[in-house]
Amino acid sequence: MKKKKPISENAAFAGFLASVGAIVLGLIFGYIMLIVFNPAFANVGIIKILSTGFSTKEKLAKVLYQAAPLMMTGLSVGFAMKTGLFNIGGSGQYLVGAFFALICGVVLKLPWYICLFASMLGGCFWGVFPGLFKSLFNVNEVITAIMFNWIGLFLVNLTLTNIPSALANFYGAATADRTANITAANPTALIPKVWLDKLFNSPYMNISFFIAAIIAVVIYIIIDKTVFGYELKACGFNQKASLYAGINAKRNVVFSMMIAGALSGIGGGIYYLCGTAQYSIIKVLPAMGFNGIPVALLASSNPLGIILSSLFISYIQVGGEALQPEYAKEIIDIIIACIIYLSALSVLMNEFITKMLKAKKEKKDNAALRQSAGASLEAVNAPKEEEK
Amino acid sequence: MRIAADLLGSTILFGVPLLLVALGGMFAERSGVINLALEGIMIIGALAGCLFLRSANLGGWGVNSPQTAMFIAIIIAGVIGAVFSLLLSFAAINLKANQTIGGTALNQFAPAFAVVLTWAIQGQGQTSITIPTWVRITQANFGFAQSASPGFFENLIFKSFYLTTPIAFILLIASYVILYKTKLGLRLRSCGEHPQAAASVGISVYKMRYIGTTISGFLGGIGGLAFTVAAGSGFQSTVAGYGFLALAVMIFGNWKPLSIFGASMFFAFFKVISSYSGSIPFLPKFENITNSSYIYQCIPYVVTMLVLIFTSKRSQAPLAEGQPYDKGQR
Amino acid sequence: MEDYIIEMLHITKEFPGLKANDDITLQLRRGEIHALLGENGAGKSTLMNVLFGLYTPEGGEIKKNGKTVAIKDPNTATELGIGMVHQHFQLVHNFTVLQNIILGAETVRGGFLRLEESRKKVMELSERYGLKIDTDALIEDITVGMQQRVEILKMLYRDNEVLIFDEPTAMLTPQEIDELMQIMKNLSAEGKSILFISHKLNEIKAVADRCTVLRKGKCVGTVETASASKEDLSEMMVGRRVDFAVAKEEAKPGQTVLEVKQLNVTGKSHLKKAVKNISFDVKCGEIVCIAGIDGNGQSELVYALTGLMNTESGSVLFNGEDITKESVRKRNMKGLAHIPEDRHEYGLILDYSLAQNLVLKKYFFDDFQKNGFIDFNAVDEYADKLIEKYDIRSSSGASSSTRSMSGGNQQKAIVARELDYDPKLLIAVQPTRGMDVGAIEYIHKQIIAQRDAGKAILLISLELDEVMNLSDRILVIYEGEIVGQLEPKSTTVQELGLYMAGAKRSDVLTEGRE
Repeated sequence: MKKKKPISENAAFAGFLASVGAIVLGLIFGYIMLIVFNPAFANVGIIKILSTGFSTKEKLAKVLYQAAPLMMTGLSVGFAMKTGLFNIGGSGQYLVGAFFALICGVVLKLPWYICLFASMLGGCFWGVFPGLFKSLFNVNEVITAIMFNWIGLFLVNLTLTNIPSALANFYGAATADRTANITAANPTALIPKVWLDKLFNSPYMNISFFIAAIIAVVIYIIIDKTVFGYELKACGFNQKASLYAGINAKRNVVFSMMIAGALSGIGGGIYYLCGTAQYSIIKVLPAMGFNGIPVALLASSNPLGIILSSLFISYIQVGGEALQPEYAKEIIDIIIACIIYLSALSVLMNEFITKMLKAKKEKKDNAALRQSAGASLEAVNAPKEEEK
Repeated sequence: MRIAADLLGSTILFGVPLLLVALGGMFAERSGVINLALEGIMIIGALAGCLFLRSANLGGWGVNSPQTAMFIAIIIAGVIGAVFSLLLSFAAINLKANQTIGGTALNQFAPAFAVVLTWAIQGQGQTSITIPTWVRITQANFGFAQSASPGFFENLIFKSFYLTTPIAFILLIASYVILYKTKLGLRLRSCGEHPQAAASVGISVYKMRYIGTTISGFLGGIGGLAFTVAAGSGFQSTVAGYGFLALAVMIFGNWKPLSIFGASMFFAFFKVISSYSGSIPFLPKFENITNSSYIYQCIPYVVTMLVLIFTSKRSQAPLAEGQPYDKGQR
Repeated sequence: MEDYIIEMLHITKEFPGLKANDDITLQLRRGEIHALLGENGAGKSTLMNVLFGLYTPEGGEIKKNGKTVAIKDPNTATELGIGMVHQHFQLVHNFTVLQNIILGAETVRGGFLRLEESRKKVMELSERYGLKIDTDALIEDITVGMQQRVEILKMLYRDNEVLIFDEPTAMLTPQEIDELMQIMKNLSAEGKSILFISHKLNEIKAVADRCTVLRKGKCVGTVETASASKEDLSEMMVGRRVDFAVAKEEAKPGQTVLEVKQLNVTGKSHLKKAVKNISFDVKCGEIVCIAGIDGNGQSELVYALTGLMNTESGSVLFNGEDITKESVRKRNMKGLAHIPEDRHEYGLILDYSLAQNLVLKKYFFDDFQKNGFIDFNAVDEYADKLIEKYDIRSSSGASSSTRSMSGGNQQKAIVARELDYDPKLLIAVQPTRGMDVGAIEYIHKQIIAQRDAGKAILLISLELDEVMNLSDRILVIYEGEIVGQLEPKSTTVQELGLYMAGAKRSDVLTEGRE
């Protein structure tokens, strides 16, 4: 059927428009914040937010560098959301993924692709728990994920501090509170830069963004084109109906959380295998895991949209760093919060618009039906007139 | 005995914010709204309360009437938390938006806003607000001096005694009474279980849900301040995941005030044990392991998961929680 | 001039794409029982919701005691003394009876509940009208009949004079229905005016003084029930003489397809067995109907047969093969089709397109996928074929959103999917629920055609007419047990009713089958 295309395109397009609207309003709100907190620099500030990402090659490299892990955690949240699950456990999965990658890279001295694969397994492993708890014991996945974020953090910290060869001081650095610099410990574990670092003139630049983008396309194909995706979405939309159709919904919940976890895990691996950041042993959950949520929401969980939304979020974050010292860079988080809030409402706007369209259509259909049923309706009216 | 007093005192100290916030979560969910924004509400409440304490300190009058200042700070924390929660209510109740997403937005907003504001007020880079030392209630407040060698009760009560603690207990009792003994409580609960039934007898579901979420914001805000004074290192624009923990405590406590009290103390106890693990004689020391306190820090989370496994089957979650109420739909 | 307590004059209420009430006039005399008769979807509930303030009409006026009133919400209705027992009870399951009765009309002092004062008033009312209740029992623990008494007490507690009963007998046993009829008469004798919504002619004849008939959103007329025959009322309701019997040939049962042996199923509450020691069989070429009042274990029986629920003991044999422990998918693959009770809950994924729903049980077949990738062209072609064959109407064919389709066409889509499966056994649960006469006729014909094609059919129905007309053999279920086997030709609706109410049972059946 040829008719199919325009409808789905319309829905996606409406969603895109709603997201753009949310972004514009969010930025306006951010501008107001700039005026409130430091009126003298407000105009300079908003221009910095909007233009820094493109200002130099180095900044653009930073945008791409940050977008890759964001895209992964965004895909993680988005994938789970398509199956009707809310994955707030991105932080824990990201951490465990990073941990697996670092052990493989720093301690076991394995090459980067094996490290990345290990990070996927690590995230996958941590995603099993919310899935299993939900399908076996009917415990809400949000609560399990929150608990396992913390358990993951403590266990990773505990294990890392007890593996001396993983830490920076083992390779001659002064501090023991972070993992070793991969460049010093095992350069083969670094994600290849090909010639990109020279092109962009930035140490941040490597192929990680492209790896993430390819994964996004793969996820898109899985969700929209495969039997597995059909089953997963069926579970997400209506679990009872999926059981009725013979789909093993419980197993799919676990699978879905495992894949979501794997995606977050790759995010952790991709970030730390770049060589520019070392994992420092802290007591705070990494923000990257939570930042996947706005990335996914902004794209209505569409994997291809997530490529764009992660770029956007990364772009304004780079812009936000340029705001200091006149403003705290957290002003960007305020803008993002505002965009999430508005996008929560825009889902509604979409529904409203679709409903309006439907109502119009139904009216037409009904009119046609009535004409055909006209004869019988006349018969209905007859006795009533007699009574009068 | 000294250590027992310390353990118990700290348990209450850290249990109080959990208790307050979990009670807050309970009021929201009993009215039918899932309040995932508690973390953010805590931060905003603590921010407001701490800013007030700071100005009272700078103004010089705080030190003269410390508990009055603290009381006002508590009220401010609660009120600002309640106001902040209106953002969630509006999205969740009027606009029927996804409550999880709305809550996430508020959680994202709160710490960022706190950093930006404290930065703007205190100058660049200064993002932590110091809490004046006079907020702690000491023996002097009751007109006697600290003993040379304080006994069990003196240690238990005065080592870390803040006005938030007695107020939390009053609020616990008040929560129980409101929920079960008043018209408001009856109506609120009916909206969380069967909003259509409530509407059919003329109860405004929207109003009840607004009330539930606003109470939730009020308690959450106070809980944020209680957390900050308990943490002891000033306001750092974070509440270290306590808002989320409180949700687990609420589920653990089966949406009932007294059980929530038990659950929050249970949770706090394990939290406290992890930081005292080195000085408690009967606990294993894991001598070959560096930073073994991480093991103890895991315990409350692991225990919660185990408890949830056994309780989820007979969970008494409000039936209509998280479901937007549509006036037209019946 | 007549003494009308309520007059609804020329009421018009429109929904997007549907005129649910079109210029309807209804006048309620003081102290009478006035029935509102119509088929499902005739606009009865809409009209009552307008009176109760839940809907605002686009046109018309409402008068109370001759004065025009504006009823904008249930509160206004209550103030005017109008109360309503909704079809689905509006009771909070974990509140006590007393709490439910006072909810919204609490006696308080300083905001605190005065439960004892309320209890006194409730007990007085309970005695005066003969409505026995236990004020401290939780709603979830009491019977449907008692829940209905709670609903009635809710109205009386508010001193309502006009009582609306929206299909009050749907969930009740015949005994409870008799009791309710008596209660209604008592209430009317005490001066209450009653509006009674129903599509059951017997009840209307038994209790109502007058009857207003609606059809397709329009008012057909108001008659004195004493002077109108059931046939007259029925004609007013459906618009033409209904040929109650469905034309069908004699059944020619063949081999046994489904054999159920001493099946036990635990209910959702884990407290009591929902299905107790049930044994029966279904042969190909026959329609076996399980008749019973809603909630007597039918759902659990079906879920156990289709694999959606675990059995406790006993076995299910399909063509001689034990499938008791098989998965839903394996049962489907063996040739078991299932038209579920609730099309929105189980039958359809409303967020999927019509085409995607039509392949809900086939999407993994080789025809529709290659190496795990869905062949969308094949899916659409197949969907177009079914849409034409089963005349499924929708806005944009195979790609229509299922959510936007009408209930009747949604049901047709399910029927199409299940029948095109070429099943050996069809389990159809209330296949015509909430549908209009034309669609019912269509589905009945399809089911008979399947039987004549040699399929085994297990029909679960609550509608006595459907049971009597379609089935070749009737099994009656009561409180999870099969209490009788009847032949539709040699039995009467009355006898069937006695079995369904548990007043009669024949044990011959179970003995004979073991």
